[in-house]
Amino acid sequence: MIAKKVLLVGNFGVGKTSLIRRFVLNQFSEDYISTIGVRVSSKVVLYENKEIKLLIWDVAGTSGDEKIPKAYFLGASAAMFVFDLSREETYLTIDNYLESIRHLSGLKDITIVGNKKDLLTKEELETVIETISVKIDLITSAKEDENVESAFLQLASQAIK
Amino acid sequence: MIPAKIEDVFIQITTSFSGVIIDITAGNFVRKEFNLQESIYNVCPFLEGTLEALEVSTPFLLEGMVIVSNSIEYNIDIELFKSEDNVTTLIHDRTSVYKYVDQLNQNRNDIFFVKRELAEKNIELDKLRKIADKANEEKSRFLAMMSHEIRNPLNVILGYSEMISEEKINKNVKEYSRLLLNSGKNLKVIVNDILDLSRIEAGKFELVNSAVNIKLVSKNAIRNYKDQNKNKEVVLELEFAKNIPELVLADDVRVNQILSNLLSNALKFTEKGIVSLKVKLVSEGKEFVNLSFSISDSGKGMTNQQAETIFEEYQQNNESDYRFFGGAGLGLSIVKRLLKAMNGSISVESELNIGTVFNVEIPFLKVNTPKSNRIEKEAGFTSKKIKGKRILVADDDALNQTIVAHILKKENAILTQAKDGLEALNMLKTEVFDIVLLDIYMPNITGEKLVKLTNDFKKENTNIPFLALTANTTPEDLKRYKGIGFKDVIGKPYTAVEFVEKITAAL
Repeated sequence: MIAKKVLLVGNFGVGKTSLIRRFVLNQFSEDYISTIGVRVSSKVVLYENKEIKLLIWDVAGTSGDEKIPKAYFLGASAAMFVFDLSREETYLTIDNYLESIRHLSGLKDITIVGNKKDLLTKEELETVIETISVKIDLITSAKEDENVESAFLQLASQAIK
Repeated sequence: MIPAKIEDVFIQITTSFSGVIIDITAGNFVRKEFNLQESIYNVCPFLEGTLEALEVSTPFLLEGMVIVSNSIEYNIDIELFKSEDNVTTLIHDRTSVYKYVDQLNQNRNDIFFVKRELAEKNIELDKLRKIADKANEEKSRFLAMMSHEIRNPLNVILGYSEMISEEKINKNVKEYSRLLLNSGKNLKVIVNDILDLSRIEAGKFELVNSAVNIKLVSKNAIRNYKDQNKNKEVVLELEFAKNIPELVLADDVRVNQILSNLLSNALKFTEKGIVSLKVKLVSEGKEFVNLSFSISDSGKGMTNQQAETIFEEYQQNNESDYRFFGGAGLGLSIVKRLLKAMNGSISVESELNIGTVFNVEIPFLKVNTPKSNRIEKEAGFTSKKIKGKRILVADDDALNQTIVAHILKKENAILTQAKDGLEALNMLKTEVFDIVLLDIYMPNITGEKLVKLTNDFKKENTNIPFLALTANTTPEDLKRYKGIGFKDVIGKPYTAVEFVEKITAAL
């Protein structure tokens, strides 16, 4: 079985830990506990009949111009950028953020996920999608377990590319 | 707490490139978790994928990682060094440091979310405030519209009541006519009060200050009520302290409104005895003077409970509170608001069956300029100027026309009446007048339009005064009418005295 290191990055409070908890443990909590440094979880996924052990790095959320330590990306096969659909500041400078991650990780493709779909109406969601300058790969809700599995499978597919 | 020994806060391990532990070279930190020939990934899963990617002979630091021992989480920093043969891993226990970082981070993030929530609430509150403001504006507009609709028929009621009372009629009819007139006047006060209150609430209320003789304003207020007071059992008194300044900066209309409201109230509930107004100087500075106005009566008085709520709106709705019979219960509320706008104050002392005293205090700015013409005008006027004057009155309401004709006939004016704006225009083209009174809403040509057509008038009519005869009486309306050519406005409903006074002043 091959192991692949993947990272989840994005602003604090966007739901990175919640997505991982939902994916790995199928659990969700409304409590917000900020992540310090890195927490690593793992889960074996089946992708195109291949078992892949995903080593998922939950990197502490950043704020403003904070940079993620480059060391975290060493050996990473894929990365997911998570933003909060209900918080403009988490996706307003998405271009700069993605460029910074590409530069630090050397990764070409980054999975872009908009989380907390449950907090928006259909119309609000459409407005957000129109506002964002890049293509969103998946719209998720960790709370309602919507598209979480798909998001990690897409991450796995990028990891084995 | 016993300080940790240095070897308890670190551990140094040598592994193969694939993470198999070859040697534990130093330190005791979570020592029992690491066993020779086992994978370091069991305790440090984050090294999987990282060790292979390390560059040879390049030190590498990973900060803020987490490992678990005995179900306890430890925050660690890891230094890695890959040689040609193996990888050296130095693990530092940094739990105590990260504990503070964790707390700071959590606090920072919590504050962020609280701030965000507050901002959202503020936006929500702002929306609600705008909705409330809009509703308030709608209410004010509705009140202004209703006021206009009420004023017109009220003018007819008051006008005809006055006319009936002047006829030779039997005692009963005279009494009925008097009651009708009183009720009409009460209704007029209510309409004015409601409008005043809605203007204050809508923030459209402004004081217009000028040099005012407070003694004169007080005298006029008393004189007005002396004329109206038919109860011989009640005596009206006025008293001034000697040191009252001759002139102060004030809005005389509003000061009069305050005094009139309080005097009217006192008279309404005093069957026998004295109603008095006493004006005193409370304090004086270089630029200001504080005056007090005490309005006392020997009426039925109030209970403490009634006195506590007396300045609230619509107090007359409390059926047991007889004191406010005949009004909308807005008078005192308006007085209080007017005083607030003047930075003044009001208080009340009352004893059941003994009487009531309202104490008003207002700070005025001093005036050192000569007496203004406005304040020197004593109450009363002469209507002699109207006799023989050629007056054109255009109004599409036949009932209003009859009232106007009745008043002007008594004044011996030469009256010409037009049933609409077009007829009035034709008259202004061919006949000569001394003054013109125009209703605003008339068919064919409105009063507003007609007043601007001076070029079409006969030359002699181009410089004569035009008065608007209308139920639109807000300050904005008055300003607009004066701006387009009207010399003044006769607001409906009007009494015969007010009507003649306005025309006399304009001639």
